[in-house]
Amino acid sequence: MQKQSTGYLFVLPALMVLGMLIAYPVAYTGLLSVTDNAGNYVGLDNFRRVLSARATPTAFWNTLWWVFGSIVFQVILGVLTAILLNQNFRGRAVVRSVTLVPWVVPGIVAATTWAWMLHTEFGIINYMLTGPGLIDEPVGWLTNGSTVLPVMIAINIWKMFPFVAIMVLAGLQSISNDLYEAARIDGASFWEEVRYVMLPQVRTVIVAVTLLLVIWALNHITIIYAITRGGPANRTLITPIQIFRTAFESVQFGQAAALSVMFFAVAIVVVFIYIRTLASNPEETR
Amino acid sequence: MNKLQTLKRPGLPGWLILTASVLLVLVCLFPFWWMVLSSVKTLRELYTVPPIWWPAAPTWENYRTVLFESNIPRYFLNSIIISVGSTALALVLAIFASYGFARFNFKGKPLLQSFVLVGQLLPTAAIIVPLFVTLRVLNLVNTYWGLILVYMIITLPLSVWMLTSYFKNIPVELEEAAIIDGASRLECLFRITLPLSLPGLASVMVYAFVTTWNEFIFALCFATDSSVKTLPIGLAEFSTEFNTDWGAVMAASVVMTLPIAILFLSMQRLFVGGLTAGATKG
Amino acid sequence: MKTLTMKLAMAATASFLAMSAGAWAGEVVWWTPNFNEARARELVEKFQAANPDVTVKLEITTTDGLPQRILTSLQSGAAPDVIDVQHGWVNGYAQNNLVLPVDDVLTDREDYIPAALEYNTWDGKLWGIPYRIETHAVIINKGDYTAAGLDPDNPPTTWTAFKDAAKKLTTNGKSGFAITGGGEVGNTIFRSLPFMWMLGGGIISDDGKQVLVNSPESIEAVTFYTDFLKEGISPTSTLENDGTANRRLFIAETVSMYQSGQFDIQSIRKENPNIDIGVIPVPHPDDGKTAAILGGWSFVIPSDAKNPDDAKKLLGFLAKSENQAVLTDTFPARISAMEAERFNDPILQVFKEMLPFGRPVPAHPNWVQISQAYFDGIQRILLGDEDVKTAMDGAADEIEGLL
Repeated sequence: MQKQSTGYLFVLPALMVLGMLIAYPVAYTGLLSVTDNAGNYVGLDNFRRVLSARATPTAFWNTLWWVFGSIVFQVILGVLTAILLNQNFRGRAVVRSVTLVPWVVPGIVAATTWAWMLHTEFGIINYMLTGPGLIDEPVGWLTNGSTVLPVMIAINIWKMFPFVAIMVLAGLQSISNDLYEAARIDGASFWEEVRYVMLPQVRTVIVAVTLLLVIWALNHITIIYAITRGGPANRTLITPIQIFRTAFESVQFGQAAALSVMFFAVAIVVVFIYIRTLASNPEETR
Repeated sequence: MNKLQTLKRPGLPGWLILTASVLLVLVCLFPFWWMVLSSVKTLRELYTVPPIWWPAAPTWENYRTVLFESNIPRYFLNSIIISVGSTALALVLAIFASYGFARFNFKGKPLLQSFVLVGQLLPTAAIIVPLFVTLRVLNLVNTYWGLILVYMIITLPLSVWMLTSYFKNIPVELEEAAIIDGASRLECLFRITLPLSLPGLASVMVYAFVTTWNEFIFALCFATDSSVKTLPIGLAEFSTEFNTDWGAVMAASVVMTLPIAILFLSMQRLFVGGLTAGATKG
Repeated sequence: MKTLTMKLAMAATASFLAMSAGAWAGEVVWWTPNFNEARARELVEKFQAANPDVTVKLEITTTDGLPQRILTSLQSGAAPDVIDVQHGWVNGYAQNNLVLPVDDVLTDREDYIPAALEYNTWDGKLWGIPYRIETHAVIINKGDYTAAGLDPDNPPTTWTAFKDAAKKLTTNGKSGFAITGGGEVGNTIFRSLPFMWMLGGGIISDDGKQVLVNSPESIEAVTFYTDFLKEGISPTSTLENDGTANRRLFIAETVSMYQSGQFDIQSIRKENPNIDIGVIPVPHPDDGKTAAILGGWSFVIPSDAKNPDDAKKLLGFLAKSENQAVLTDTFPARISAMEAERFNDPILQVFKEMLPFGRPVPAHPNWVQISQAYFDGIQRILLGDEDVKTAMDGAADEIEGLL
């Protein structure tokens, strides 16, 4: 394409606004990570301290589980839902709107409502399961070390799969009819149409959505923080919650900044690799 | 889609659509329905062992509290102004940036694309204090503009990324034809690419709106005056040190959620396909 | 805050600050939590009538996210002039140089409960003015007592008797005594640390030099506390329950006893008037005295307050005995203020009796992390991951690194 420098003009305004907002926070976090509470330079002390904390490795592994568990199901469920909502059937408009509800409900309220429904004693879920005899006695969803993280992930999936569905649906809606017609001429079945027409066409959308889901999972702590605060015994502690706690509960802004810097470094590398390998290359050949 | 095309097109069997839809609606609505139920329960019925399915005497008391005795109506207005403002700003900036990323190849593009995400990769806990300082420098603490601008950090990266991917899906040949006919880049964007990606644009808009509508921690720290506080802060105001008026919180949540769901319902036309039908190369 | 970064920020923004300092001389911005709003407005009117040259601007805070909001404003230098904060937070602010000393405002020290002043003291100076104090007691369902054949007017006072009573109350799906194991760290610290103190143990020593969490006394106390769940006396949901959840279980009549402050009484009466509420002191070991953590609220003046002089004037007014009696939600920090009529309600008597046993938590810069390490240990015990000794040894290792 011609006149590639015009591209800069298009992207400049957005980058300037973001730069203005982010420049100082980035510099500030960097500086804070090597100073103590009194503002003295302490080298890598903060880093050493957070790395030696017992919670840090736990949080790291929990974060991996949390991110991967959430994203795999969010994407699969979201895409399936999008395909369903792309069908023609009566009441489709209503179902589409209803699908949006989990995502629209304020995070803190959704979290509290779930905590309430999952409570061993007050919870409607245990009541529903014990009533018809599906289980013998109430399950401590949030008090059992082996169920609590999966439950958190499930709530996160519930909260965010509608987002994937809506985004992918928008992509499906933009597919030109010619492509479908071509497939039909070849006598493609529905699932072949999904595989050879729909998925390839929304591939860029799914790639972008996945990346954003990773970032979202890494940055949004409301669900876990509101329900368990990372407990019991750090079973649901993820790194962003650890950072939040270090900064605002322990008033250790230096250590929180050190943890943020490491978190940021890992995240940016992952994102950059992702962009280089998945997002850009196929497009470059266009 | 018109009827002829629908007939020709293979689809999912009816029973599968029905089952899947029912399941989907149940999963999505169950907690929300529990919220609605809780909002019409009396205090005594909220927490019982075992839980109560249906309140003996549904009460509108909680809604009365929310609508007439709290700051929620005022915060509702603030939320609308801030969400509409930041969504509009994010969309305008993102449309240009995405077009740039989708249609041009320039040096350092992957780097700049990653840069867009930087603000999202820093944990909230780390950026909140310096962001406050930035807002003070700009003299924007406790103003609508302050929050509108700050929300760019949350909404802009996503909007840019999503729109870029939608724009990429529009066949570039359409624009090339237009350019040969003498159209400028901007005309291409506004006459061809944008109308064709309307569903994408609409979903990005919904995203930006919902995210800012529900955001809590920035609003808490950057809007301390009730003239700019938003709805999530209103929810927190029903809690005191050792108590929470859950009935009112649930009622307020319903008041917060329903308008968005209805808004989305009314915008269905934007999402419906067929806009692109026939518009692409023949 | 005088950090390197802040200095940079200051230099960069100095000119803007001069312009953006919205408050004019004579205006005091006071952040008070929503549950104080009505009473605070009343006092502000009185204050302004007496000091026509000062205008007080009230900004109402919410309990959710309050520490974050306060720290953000303190750290970034755009602070109000007076803030209501919990006692436990003051030391952290003082150590980070975020608040101003207020020794000159508080003149009659001997009228204050000593533990309340201790909370606000660091480095020999006073950094906050306490106005509200409270401790826990045990709230009981008298009806359940009678039904179990116990005498509610002659309640258990020792650990052994208390556990026996709790066991007897655990029938028909009811739990005799609910402990906490979830929610914010503070919930479980407030309910379990006093048991350690009663035996002479603790999490760390008061001077902050020694780890006590795995001492034999502490382990005995932690065993006593966590056994309530292990023996099935506390509800199975213990690990997800904080103080509020316990109150709800009590209101739902599935729990017969739990520890809390007087702030719960009103909610119980309102939500379930059928319960005949009793209050008993927290039980003590056979040969020891009871203990409690003193909680409550203080006023602080941020270092970056624009109008510290008038802020001190306002604090002097609020610290008056009669005004403390009005503003507090529980008890006032001043002994003379306790004579006010509203504190004579018979149901408050036991809470009042517990006050002299109230102690502050140790003032250590890393206290929050220390208590978190201890709380993680408690949760490991309650989960069944580790026994008491192993869990407390693990906590001790962690705490050692924080001292």
